[in-house]
Amino acid sequence: MELNVKPVPIPDPVSAYYWENAKNGRLTVQGFEGLDIRQHPPGPTPEIPGGGPAGAVPVAVEVSGRGTLFSFTVLRQPFHPDFLDAIPLLIGLTELDDAPGVRIMTNIVEADPDELRIGMPMEVVFEPRGDMAIPQFRPVRTHR
Amino acid sequence: MTADKAAVTGIGYSSVHRAKGVDGRGLAVDAARAAIADAGLQVSDVDGVFEYAGNEQSYDIAKMLGIENLVVFGDFGPWGPSAMSSVVGAHMAVQSGACEVALVVRSVTREWGQQSAEKMLPPPSGMWQWDLPYGIAGGMIPVMAMKMRRRFATLGGSEQDYGHIAVNARRWASLNERAVLRDLITMDDYLNSRMISDPVHLFDCDYPVTGACAVVITNARRAVDTPRPPVWIDAIAMGTGWKPDWTYTDDFLFGGTRACAETMWKRSSVTASDVDVAQLYDGFTHITVSWIEAMGFCGIGEFGDWVDAGSAIGPGGALPLNTQGGQLAEGRLHGLSFLAEGVAQLRGDCGARQVPEARVAVVANAHGPHCASMVLTA
Repeated sequence: MELNVKPVPIPDPVSAYYWENAKNGRLTVQGFEGLDIRQHPPGPTPEIPGGGPAGAVPVAVEVSGRGTLFSFTVLRQPFHPDFLDAIPLLIGLTELDDAPGVRIMTNIVEADPDELRIGMPMEVVFEPRGDMAIPQFRPVRTHR
Repeated sequence: MTADKAAVTGIGYSSVHRAKGVDGRGLAVDAARAAIADAGLQVSDVDGVFEYAGNEQSYDIAKMLGIENLVVFGDFGPWGPSAMSSVVGAHMAVQSGACEVALVVRSVTREWGQQSAEKMLPPPSGMWQWDLPYGIAGGMIPVMAMKMRRRFATLGGSEQDYGHIAVNARRWASLNERAVLRDLITMDDYLNSRMISDPVHLFDCDYPVTGACAVVITNARRAVDTPRPPVWIDAIAMGTGWKPDWTYTDDFLFGGTRACAETMWKRSSVTASDVDVAQLYDGFTHITVSWIEAMGFCGIGEFGDWVDAGSAIGPGGALPLNTQGGQLAEGRLHGLSFLAEGVAQLRGDCGARQVPEARVAVVANAHGPHCASMVLTA
């Protein structure tokens, strides 16, 4: 088996919009027509305390791709055989600026572990993967 | 008042060790027979079996033991609060009258417990499409690490807080002949243990073993007619919290532990200040710290001060914790040994590690989206 070929996500009917938009360089989260809700990962229903309306129609909502670092870890043990060459691996949760409470889990790229701080501003980038692209987050550079 | 309570009347273990390649079915039978005998019963008295995530189904256990018919049974999958999933099932069955004598079994092999070393990963679809493309595997270790770091940032505290749980486990395990890791460790040993996923150290993680644990749960009428003093299930609860999920849950630090503990105390005849001994899940040390705060033994974020450099949870402390050594040191029997040890403490059977005059115990399993806890009274 060939190692270090990193997995390409397999979309399903609920998640297809996310990966399709990522391929086109757009970060989107799930909303529903007529409802003020944003959620990720997507699901078949709006997740609302007490329950959302039946038959709510999901829509993809584009977000800026800016957020803050919610938490992170430096993975030092390669649990995934395709990531043997990627250790130490930065993994983080970024909370989106324009979808409060919505967090996306990705690798943290273009960063030194020692510079990472919870609450620091982050921005999305898209990493080509197979015939797709996967969202990743990196610290916002003021001097870029 | 115990007339309406169910009770744990028997506990049993198989051998517990580090062997691989063992058929877990034999271990399940060993633990079950021990628990049934401890309850002063015969195999033919058991009319319900509840099993958690083993390679054997509950009716397999019945067949192996020689139970000629089960009137109720249940097999609980791994998407539940460890073996306490099956304890809740058994308790409901006994209390509803669906059966009179329920046997609960968890048999685990070292290979099963070592999910983090799994090399055959699922395809990156369904729930895995959000994790595997990012190299996120190894059970929930990276997410647990993020909970710990988020706790430091929002509630304060340090790695030493978690270290006290790890050091404490070995202190108690040194007094438990069944424990697999009985050598004492220091805080430096903890801090110098291998970093798995910063800040998760090796000694934050429980220790995979091969073994089985079983308990017998019965109704109040049968419970008073046993050779050993029954230990009453004063309260039992499950909890999920809102948006139950390990990663995307509403309460990232505590998962469902707070909601579960709140329900448990509402149902209990006692309060946190009455508790003599606590058996709180320690698959990862963060889980234990969460339960201590969720159950109100100290305020949210106050564990680091409350634990008093470990003295609060050790022998002679205000809240003796995980007196069998927990899964960190006794070994990962996957939830049921916390209940069995709580029962043993309230019976006064724990020898060198006995908590004097223990009358009330709390037990908890799991974290995140699926939590369960209970209050035991002598």
